[in-house]
Amino acid sequence: MREILVVAEHRKQKVADISVQMLGKGRQLAGQAGADLVAVTIGTDVAGYARELSRYADRVLTAEVSGMQEPLAEPSQRVLSSIIRDRKPFLVLIGHSSFGMDLAPALAVELEVPLVTDCVDVSLEEDGLRAVRPVYNGKMNAVYSFALAQTVIVTGRVGEFPVGEGDRRGEFQEVSLPFGPLDYKRFEGYTEQEAAGVDITEANVLVSVGRGIKDRASIELAERLADALGGVVACSRPVVDYGWLPADRQVGLSGKTVKPKLYLALGISGAFQHVVGMRGANMIVAVNRDPGAPIFGIADYGIVDDILRVIPVLTEKVTGLRS
Amino acid sequence: MTLADYKYADMIHRCFRCGYCKFPVNWMDVNSCPAYARFRMETYSCGGRLWLTRAWLSDEIEWTEHLAQILYTCTACKNCEEKCPLSFNVDILNMIVAAKAEMVERGLVPSAVKEFLENIERHGNPYGTARARRGEWTEGSEIEQYQGQEFLYYVGCVGSYDTRAQETARTLGRVLTRSGVSFGVLGSEENCDGNEVNTLGEEALFEMLAEDNVRKFKELGVTRVVALSPHSYNAMKNEYPRFDGTFTSFHYTQLLRDLIIGEKLDVSGGFSASVTYHDPCFLGRWNGEYEAPRRVLRSIPGVELVEMEKNRAGALCCGGGGGNFYTDFLGGSESSPARTRVREASATGASVLAVACPNCMTMLEDAVKAEGLEDSLAVKDVAEIVAAACGTA
Amino acid sequence: MDVVVCVKRVPDASGMDALVIDASRKDIERRTLVAKINDWDEYALEAAAQLKEKAGVSLTAVTVGPDEWDDVLRRALAMGADRAIRVDEDMLAADCHAVSTVLAALVRTLPHDLVLFGAQSEDFGSGQLGVMVAEMLGIPHAALVVSLEVGEGSVRVDRELEAGALESYAIELPALLTIQTGVNRPRYISVGGIRRAMKKDLQIMSVSELGLTAEMLAPQAVLERLETPPRGKEAELISGPPEETAERLVGILRNAGIL
Repeated sequence: MREILVVAEHRKQKVADISVQMLGKGRQLAGQAGADLVAVTIGTDVAGYARELSRYADRVLTAEVSGMQEPLAEPSQRVLSSIIRDRKPFLVLIGHSSFGMDLAPALAVELEVPLVTDCVDVSLEEDGLRAVRPVYNGKMNAVYSFALAQTVIVTGRVGEFPVGEGDRRGEFQEVSLPFGPLDYKRFEGYTEQEAAGVDITEANVLVSVGRGIKDRASIELAERLADALGGVVACSRPVVDYGWLPADRQVGLSGKTVKPKLYLALGISGAFQHVVGMRGANMIVAVNRDPGAPIFGIADYGIVDDILRVIPVLTEKVTGLRS
Repeated sequence: MTLADYKYADMIHRCFRCGYCKFPVNWMDVNSCPAYARFRMETYSCGGRLWLTRAWLSDEIEWTEHLAQILYTCTACKNCEEKCPLSFNVDILNMIVAAKAEMVERGLVPSAVKEFLENIERHGNPYGTARARRGEWTEGSEIEQYQGQEFLYYVGCVGSYDTRAQETARTLGRVLTRSGVSFGVLGSEENCDGNEVNTLGEEALFEMLAEDNVRKFKELGVTRVVALSPHSYNAMKNEYPRFDGTFTSFHYTQLLRDLIIGEKLDVSGGFSASVTYHDPCFLGRWNGEYEAPRRVLRSIPGVELVEMEKNRAGALCCGGGGGNFYTDFLGGSESSPARTRVREASATGASVLAVACPNCMTMLEDAVKAEGLEDSLAVKDVAEIVAAACGTA
Repeated sequence: MDVVVCVKRVPDASGMDALVIDASRKDIERRTLVAKINDWDEYALEAAAQLKEKAGVSLTAVTVGPDEWDDVLRRALAMGADRAIRVDEDMLAADCHAVSTVLAALVRTLPHDLVLFGAQSEDFGSGQLGVMVAEMLGIPHAALVVSLEVGEGSVRVDRELEAGALESYAIELPALLTIQTGVNRPRYISVGGIRRAMKKDLQIMSVSELGLTAEMLAPQAVLERLETPPRGKEAELISGPPEETAERLVGILRNAGIL
């Protein structure tokens, strides 16, 4: 029986959303191929995750590894290379998360199988699998096929695959693999992001600045606009990289996810990693010099102009309204 | 580099902190250094920067981003050179530029300056917009490509890419055409003139730009250049000769003056307004040209020319030089030089603030809006006033 | 200590050029595009340059590409690399596995205690190369590193997870790290600096010198084509000078009950 294997990631004691999405895509492909959908969960005390996963998979493999409350790439790689060599699934799906990025390429090399990462679609054509991934910051997609390979690994982008019904009752199977501790790569712990003075996830209005703000000094302009609108200043990653705002203001994949009434994206290009953190906002207004900026593809309203020109005028008008 | 290797090591200590560098020619206030006007701290005046530079190169203070920002708020307006009473005054701006050059060599520049320079190197303009789009401003106009005409009309980065300045560029083109001047533009073949790059201390990049431009002009057989921007005019007139540039450079106001005197340009249609003229630093203090633009304005019937108290060599810089039209280090406050200058213009009672530089245009127009003076003061380029008067507005 | 940094040359897509798929449908039109060093690699190079300044390590920059790619190596040399090596092969059409094979073969010939890659590239953004090379070299790795501290024979790193959380490791050298943006502030490289770097050692090697055959570099994942993605609903654009657009936007916000 052919198999599709989904590597499930867990975070903070629950199965990660991205893994449930991988299972959704896996279910669709398994149905098409007449294959079994198998999920694998690796870590410490994984029984709870296994139960959750059994709602989506035909079979759930559990690998208990001590000292692994949160997923770690290297031990996971050891377990998975053994499972994959043994079961030979024709497709392995992993979420394209930080964990997935740390794991998948090494696993692919160890197994000598093809890997395509950060995919927004995977399909089964007559002559084999196709994987589609965005390139050039989302301006186009690249479509891949695979040279003759028994197993193919694909990592999938978060939020692109639909979640399945969750009405299955998969069987459980324990996998036990003895291996020693990894002295050469010692996990030392976690740090959660520090609780900040300002919680941008609570704000109704976010005035979010990107590279287009050009300098730390200009952030003051954004702050005045935020004040006038009764909102808070947030930002995209480059602003934090340059040290102009603290990390707790960052919206995006490695920052916060927000759902304000109004998200003003000022000088933000709209790269996927940022968009994923704010596309749930009620209204998105983008201002950017570049008419081709991807942000205009998800905003409700857009102004093509230099933000340093627009912000002061907008502040003035809003203040004028309020007085 | 240590202080010992610094080109001006033997004179940098001579600033004795008299503070004159902050005063205008007519001594009326202490706000004529644009950065000092904005921040009101000694560090931001020329003397302050000289002493900070000395301390940095002697390892008395460490480089910080704040130190870099202080140096880069200098707009290279030359007010300090104008006012400094010491014999080394001809070099004080050069000393600041040399200090910036040292920061550039060490890679220690503010990120906005890094972007500015990288964009010019890669795309030929500080905005980072594609070279292929540099000629788009001519669309819909009758302006032709340069193919050996009498004049090369050199527009510059701001005129090519800034939407407001593009209007001025087109208007000047119409005026030149109306006057029967034979000219052409380089369009997407035009490269940055490098004037700002030079004042930012990136010497090697400036050399690259100057050499590229000189070579291109030679290949095309350019003998006379008329520049929209005083920045371009300054670079080409004063710096390009050392790169073997053998053409003659004019600022467009000089050409318009000659055309009016020579009766090739008829401005009898007039322009009725009280106009105050803002001297651009790179035309005025840098090149001593105070009269040509005034001559042009005075020859237009209906123009009532009123002077601001700070005029000619005492004019307050709009704050756009030294890359600041892009980096905007002097913005964000009512003390910013652009807003101060606009208030000075408004105080004359004039309804039009005339400029002769696209940088001044963008800085002062934004300032008029920030001051809420849109209804009483319009910013117009001299070319735009001339265009109205000769019927090609 | 020997540090090796791998760098990539990518098209500069910030110039607001429209990126256009070329006639082959497998690449973009590159003729009018300016090229630059990959953003992530700049951070990796800066991290290496800072290590060199602090601890006097020996720094080698490497890449695999045709001769135009020398410019990113010159930049690395200007940032402090002692030498640079380019494997002369145009691998733009090759898959990650093939490129990793070449880079791993090259790094294997060099003394390497710490190998640095950018976490991903600006153009294709697969994020695979670094981790693949680590596995090929048989050394431990950590991807998406946001802070690193080199000690005696080991390196402490923080890896970036989602939502601002971090994962910390202590890894024995030799090790490979892929560097995330924001780990430092890459310095400006002056044109003069690049010119002076012209005098430094830049070596060219061939794929065959590394003992690699075409068969070893056969693609595992085959690029079928590039396509433009379906555009969702585009934003309603408000045009005009800031006076007008701001006015209209305020009106929209009022109608929406936000103001």
